[in-house]
Amino acid sequence: MTQATPLRPRKLRRPGASGLITGTAILILLVLAVLALAADWITPYDPLRQNLMHALQGPSANHWLGTDDLGRDVLSRLIYGCRIAVIAAAEATAIAILLGVPLGLFIGYRGGWWDWITMRVVEAVVSIPGIMVAIVIIALLGAGLHRAMIALGILFSTSFLRLARGVVLAEREEVYVRSARVIGASDSRILVRHIFPNIAPPLIVQVTLTVGAVLLSEAGLSFIGLGVQPPHASWGTMLNTAANYMDLNWFLAVPPGVAIIVTVLSVNLLGDVIRDNVGRGIATAPSAAARRRKVRPAEPVTVLPAPTEDEVLRIEGLTAAIVPEGGTETPIITDLSLSTKRGETLGLVGESGSGKTLTGLSVLGLLGAGVQVTQGAIKLNGTDLLTLKPRELEQVRGNQVAMVFQDPTTSLNPAFTVGSQIAEVLRTKQGLTKAEAWEKVVELIHRVGIPRPEERARAYPHELSGGMAQRIAIARALSCNPSLLIADEPTTALDVTVQQEILDLFRDLQDEYGMAILFVTHDLAVAADICDRISVLYAGQMVEMAPVAELFADPRHPYTRGLLSAMPHAASGEPPLPTIRGSVPRPGAWPVGCRFGNRCDFHTAACDHPVPLEGQNGRLIRCVHAERFKLEAAS
Amino acid sequence: MFRLLLRRLLALVPLLFLVSVLTFSFTAMLPSDPVDLILGDTGTTEQHDMLRERMGLNDPVVVRYARWLGNAVQGDLGTSFFNSVDVTRAVMQRMPVTLSLTAVAALIAIATGIAAGVAAALYPRSWIDRLATIGATFGQAVPNFWFGLILVAIFAVNLHWFPATGFTPISQSPWDWLRSVTLPAVALGLSSSAAIARQVRSAMVGVLQMDYIRAARAQGLSARRVILRHALTNAMVPVIAVLSFQITVLLGGALIVEQVFAINGLGTLAITAVRQQDIPMIQGLVLVMVGMVVLVQLATDILYGLLNPKARPS
Amino acid sequence: MKKTIAGSVLLALAMGLAAGGAMAEPTGQFRFADQVRLVTMDPQRHSGGGIPYLRPVYESLFELDDEGLPVPMLATGYTVEGDTVTLTLREGVTFSNGEPFNAAAVVANINRGVEIGVLEGLLSVASAEAIDDTTVRITMREADPSIIMALAGTAGMMIAPAAMDDPALDRNPVGTGPFVYNAEESREGEVRVYTPNPTYWEPEEQDLARFEVWEIPDDTARLNALRTGQIDAGIWLSNPQAAMIDRSPDLQLIRNSGGLNYHVIISDRAGSVVPAFADRRVRQAMAYAINREAFNQAILFGLGEATWQAYPTGPWSNPDLSERYPYDPERARELLAEAGYADGFTFDMPSIPIYQSRLEALAGFFADVGITMNIVPVEPGTLARRSRTTDFPATNLVWNTVGDPKYLGLRYLNADGAYNPFQGAPSEDMAALVAQGLQSVDTAERSPAYRQMAAQIADEAFLIFVANTPILFGVSNATAENPTVHYRYGQDTIDMRGLAPNQ
Repeated sequence: MTQATPLRPRKLRRPGASGLITGTAILILLVLAVLALAADWITPYDPLRQNLMHALQGPSANHWLGTDDLGRDVLSRLIYGCRIAVIAAAEATAIAILLGVPLGLFIGYRGGWWDWITMRVVEAVVSIPGIMVAIVIIALLGAGLHRAMIALGILFSTSFLRLARGVVLAEREEVYVRSARVIGASDSRILVRHIFPNIAPPLIVQVTLTVGAVLLSEAGLSFIGLGVQPPHASWGTMLNTAANYMDLNWFLAVPPGVAIIVTVLSVNLLGDVIRDNVGRGIATAPSAAARRRKVRPAEPVTVLPAPTEDEVLRIEGLTAAIVPEGGTETPIITDLSLSTKRGETLGLVGESGSGKTLTGLSVLGLLGAGVQVTQGAIKLNGTDLLTLKPRELEQVRGNQVAMVFQDPTTSLNPAFTVGSQIAEVLRTKQGLTKAEAWEKVVELIHRVGIPRPEERARAYPHELSGGMAQRIAIARALSCNPSLLIADEPTTALDVTVQQEILDLFRDLQDEYGMAILFVTHDLAVAADICDRISVLYAGQMVEMAPVAELFADPRHPYTRGLLSAMPHAASGEPPLPTIRGSVPRPGAWPVGCRFGNRCDFHTAACDHPVPLEGQNGRLIRCVHAERFKLEAAS
Repeated sequence: MFRLLLRRLLALVPLLFLVSVLTFSFTAMLPSDPVDLILGDTGTTEQHDMLRERMGLNDPVVVRYARWLGNAVQGDLGTSFFNSVDVTRAVMQRMPVTLSLTAVAALIAIATGIAAGVAAALYPRSWIDRLATIGATFGQAVPNFWFGLILVAIFAVNLHWFPATGFTPISQSPWDWLRSVTLPAVALGLSSSAAIARQVRSAMVGVLQMDYIRAARAQGLSARRVILRHALTNAMVPVIAVLSFQITVLLGGALIVEQVFAINGLGTLAITAVRQQDIPMIQGLVLVMVGMVVLVQLATDILYGLLNPKARPS
Repeated sequence: MKKTIAGSVLLALAMGLAAGGAMAEPTGQFRFADQVRLVTMDPQRHSGGGIPYLRPVYESLFELDDEGLPVPMLATGYTVEGDTVTLTLREGVTFSNGEPFNAAAVVANINRGVEIGVLEGLLSVASAEAIDDTTVRITMREADPSIIMALAGTAGMMIAPAAMDDPALDRNPVGTGPFVYNAEESREGEVRVYTPNPTYWEPEEQDLARFEVWEIPDDTARLNALRTGQIDAGIWLSNPQAAMIDRSPDLQLIRNSGGLNYHVIISDRAGSVVPAFADRRVRQAMAYAINREAFNQAILFGLGEATWQAYPTGPWSNPDLSERYPYDPERARELLAEAGYADGFTFDMPSIPIYQSRLEALAGFFADVGITMNIVPVEPGTLARRSRTTDFPATNLVWNTVGDPKYLGLRYLNADGAYNPFQGAPSEDMAALVAQGLQSVDTAERSPAYRQMAAQIADEAFLIFVANTPILFGVSNATAENPTVHYRYGQDTIDMRGLAPNQ
């Protein structure tokens, strides 16, 4: 798990806006239904009552929407059009359901030839443009509202058929998996019991889709004269009339057009809301980052050694926060300071939610949308990255710092060959020619220990094993010889045997290239294997920092101790024992004092005040009881 | 690739066959008697019988179907019942009209749909996103023929920028063709553009959250490059399926939009044929339309394979 | 009676202003638009509108001059003696396929037309025979005062004999006209292209290199085509688009001689499908229900005039019938109640787009008195044909006021009338009037019978006349100024001979 996940807001719409839209849509549809039912009483005029002497008039006090070519009241015809729309939608949708659902259930349940033949017929019908199917059916049945709706019902029944069949097939599978048969109930009874709750939500969604489509199709068919027949008023026939009088009175096209749009819009919006609620919604995006805020300079840092010649990365007093649009900031990393030098591997260890991955991403300037660094400095080879413009930062990425991600199968683009993905970096970052880049690619792939590199370079990510893909990702990260490599749980997604090979590869490459590695992991065993120093993070803070041997020999923070005791014994491979109760508090819910306080066995009143990070000689700890543990360890 | 293409082409044969059976049996159910249609109330009973015999209407349906299919395979879709118009010729004369309308509409829909979808996905919750989302929601609710009427009222009747009706073949004058096809294509393409925009936005939002996008950014590739090359290529994979469906929708929509612009395409032919119950014409039209749809599906399948290496045979 | 026409003089007359046409190579093009779809280009199977598609290719035996009198075309003269009509033919004419135009060709044409039986102009003809190469004798079944008029129309159009065997004659017309049909450049359902006939018998009358007839049933589309110069001239009915042409400074609305009298026809007079129609009071109620003046103003945009009979003016018109059925919905409801249809009844009415608004207006009038008229669309170009079948209990057509009144009998009144599909027999009075009208060829002698017939028809009310409009051509200003554009008397076509492109 990368820790970025909880930062992606699930909901796109603010609840207020969504509620308003849904409310309006429902209101419009209710009004439509009322108009349809009460048309006889509320229309100001008889919709067929013509007055040729007052034809083609614009809106007036007598005729709010004017009159048509025969002097009929447009408003009254529009209201009667509601009735036609409701009848049309109800009729065609009902036919589609009554025809499609039972047939779909039947063939889904029956399977075999029935299913095969029906599905081939459905495929054939679906491959004909819908309106053509409707027109041909109307050729058979004749024009008119009801006959056109039968045609549309038949047309749209195919989607209900497929839906019902899909649900049956899925449930069948489910039923067998659960071995419900053992209980003694027959297949069909189980199916019936399981199908109805499962078919209802997609059915409702499909109904809203169908109603919208029916309304548009009815209007279209009436427009070309195959649906509702004049003089009866449907919105489509009104538009047909309007089309003839565009030059004389274009306004005639407006009321029926708006009526169709508003109605279909309401149905569609309602459908969207329902769809989102039954979980088939489209993926929604997190909010864009609000305007980049000015980063406050870091407080003077006392815990870091003075900068040295070979220092690569120096993070000073880093604070990052979720910055919602117009909302209050929620810190997720606070006052983090660390540094690392050439040839060193610094481990960042912690549970999910500790802020370790975000620390890595903040160096790259790739915190997710809505997350920003609010204070501090990130100095890479002496340059504060937080002061760079986006373009300059782009130059730094890849050239000076690169990152290897947790899951190699998802961090490589599935659409391109792995070689081309490395070559792309070489060409854009280093300006190599195509041939030069390719040569280097093959060399790099060879270097990360992949046999037959020429051939592998032409493979797509999905054609490679996880370990091999991770080697490619490493090759890409190193392609421009960065001075800092950030590795985010690079072995977590891999088999245990492969893990070791990858760790060995990191070590070898570091020996060769001499870069600093910021190694992010939740796995102390891995950290112990590869890191020189380890920094333990908890709830956005560093709680302990020590050279690896010291940390394992003498953990001082109760959290570090907890982590160590939860480690499986290297040899036994037993699952870790959950010795730390509770879980990491979410950002925003952090205690004022020691953030580990509520999970700590040693909690005292002193822990309820903010605890500073203290120590020297590269040994740092954030605990009021630190001295006590030190003594315990010594004794 | 060639073998894949061949295999896909062969797989289409049963579909086309089934469509032809469906169409034929369906039109055979039409209530009108072709002989009555042709002779009207003129002609004697003997003449009716002779014509019936000559047209082979006394043969069993299966025989008639086999004969029709045999001719259809050779490109002969028969002769209209209503006049001596050759169906293949009539359909082929109209096809360029409908095809160019559909093609331009598809281009407009794809270009605007992808642009709007990408823009909306790049700046989520910005004004661009809101505009695109609202536009797409509206676009799917606007009847294409109404939109056509409004376009005519504004751009043809008032501003005189485009002709209100008619169609100029591209061979006659490419410029006039473009002018004549613009308004109908825009009217036709709107709802598809909206559907594509929604799909692209949703796919882009999904893809932009993928690790490989972050990984590409981490390599220092520019935002533009990552979005246009890495994200869009992957986002197009689910969009392709929508494209294929939308082109079928466009082809159907063209039938109605043609009426608004008084364009003599397949739609006008189809509506005339249906009103006249001109069976050979209806059969031929359906078959040709399905043929076009199937070719579009084939093309999108190939595109799908190009964009999605997993779908390619190794 | 015996009458011979001196050919050349009247021929020049028929040419109108085309005189002085030099022997120049044909140039330019002229584009015309029809409002009905082309159904067939076989004149002998042709009914209803769409003559403009035929005229470039087919010439008739006679032509009508600007007074509506027959003048020579392919025939140079005629004599009528009892039951025989003798025609003298023009010499030196060939069909565009090279066949000579002679008595044998005329005989083949007339006999084919009689056999097919579609053309009502030939219903009175028994057969034709050749006397010599340029003389044809037509034997009549019965006296027909309007046979020569008929031979100036589709009945007189001459098809090349060899082409008659072509099963696709409806799309491959071959005649003697100044143009030949160009199938290659024509597009089905869109445009028919005609190019000069290289073997035309009077090449000096060929001043145009290309003639096109566009098939644009949509009124707005046709108007736009005219506005944008896609067409030079077109046919319009009295509709908003015609009104707009009339108002537009860039276009002109030409009101041609003759008129189209819009009327409702109750076909099912015996009430076999719609029982109410059997009752005369019901039919009269329908006649009372219509507000003709409002109809003219709103639907015909004031371009027409209210009518109560087939001929609003002229020798066949009965002056007493003016305002025969004033707009009186109250009276209509009373009549319906008397007939036992106080709650109304329902019937189907075929419609083509150009009559849509007319029928909606009528449906509104009828609805006012409780009658429900369902409007059923039929394909444009098929209304006349469908009206001759029992598909509909009622229909609606226009009556061309240029035609001979005998057609009232032939079409509507006789039991075998073409537009009497339910074959309701005429009342005795009516049958007598039909017969009486055919007794003479002299207008003054025939006039009383037809005036009486008009009153009788109005009384029986199975033909309900509504409004008469002139034949309307919408043309560009350039066409209006073109001196070679000559509108055929009482017809919706322009003369092909001598037609030159607009300047």
